[in-house]
Amino acid sequence: MISVAEPWVEAPLKRFVDDARVTFALLIYPSGQVLGQSGFARAVDVMSAAALAAGIHATVRELGRTLDGKGFRDVFHAGAKRRLYLAEATTPRGPCLLLTVFDEQSSLGLVQLYFEELRTALAHTKVPVPDAAPMLDENFEVELNRNLAMLFGRAPGRRNITPTS
Amino acid sequence: MSLVNYATREITCKIVYYGPGRSGKTTNLHYVYGQVPDERKGKMVSLATQTDRTLFFDFLPLDLGTISGFTTRLQLYTVPGQVYYQATRKLVLQGADGVVFVADSQARQLDENIESLQDLHANLGNQGMDPRTVPLVLQYNKQDLPRDMIMSVDDLDEALNFRGVPRFAADALHGVGVFETLRGIAELVLKRLASPAEAGSR
Repeated sequence: MISVAEPWVEAPLKRFVDDARVTFALLIYPSGQVLGQSGFARAVDVMSAAALAAGIHATVRELGRTLDGKGFRDVFHAGAKRRLYLAEATTPRGPCLLLTVFDEQSSLGLVQLYFEELRTALAHTKVPVPDAAPMLDENFEVELNRNLAMLFGRAPGRRNITPTS
Repeated sequence: MSLVNYATREITCKIVYYGPGRSGKTTNLHYVYGQVPDERKGKMVSLATQTDRTLFFDFLPLDLGTISGFTTRLQLYTVPGQVYYQATRKLVLQGADGVVFVADSQARQLDENIESLQDLHANLGNQGMDPRTVPLVLQYNKQDLPRDMIMSVDDLDEALNFRGVPRFAADALHGVGVFETLRGIAELVLKRLASPAEAGSR
């Protein structure tokens, strides 16, 4: 199932997943923010994978520059059963990365073939102008404090500490 | 830039814990990780050396629940504090919505704090972010140490807090001030999403 943070990536990402027959697909900004994904069950796991993929990409790009004078555009890793492919694309909002994992149902050639289609689709997709209205209520702090206090299992409030003498 | 999905009503914000080596950035995340129930957090990812010094980053995703009808998630990152990991800090800082600067309150660490704060400003500037307007809070960590070893909150303010941003005394190892710091930066980051000026820039 596809879930997206940016609706304009949904159709091209779905087409890629269906055509390339991959297990996981994750489209992210290079900063690690998620654009869309397929195959993950929990949103927090998606964010962890995105942070690591952004890290891999940044590292490999710099390694490429060091060794070759220019950054590598894609990375392939073959595990025992699953394979991983990470590559760059461009959108009207700037560069993005695709991390995808696949098994024997697919192949690197197939993934690369359909990634080129995805790359082309993303480059030419129409991105809507963001809504200009403020979105959070003025008193959002009340909900923020309540939620954070619940998260930490405590009542909102500050504790002071005194240095030991 | 915070990622906002109007269709599914979700907000995701990236918060980076910055500061000199051994100031307690990873300790902050470990404490948060230990406090938050499993269903509201992801795995804590730590790319560290064999001696547990941060090599690339630590990462902890949190589900903050619903705020103004939006499912709100925070991505907490740390950077490696040691001076020679400059390139890595730049990468982790990309796309940050807010920064927690974790200062070491020990008097002998003052120069390291100042150097790291200058490094933060330079790296923000290099990424086209205005260091004067990026949501920032300071945490004066290790305030539990003996008085003769540490600087007071007022003295640290004088040395580091020239922007007059919210600051929090902390003992991150025991969790004191960690919650308040996170609340402080989350409030500043989300406030931007509540103001018309920020909304217009999205």
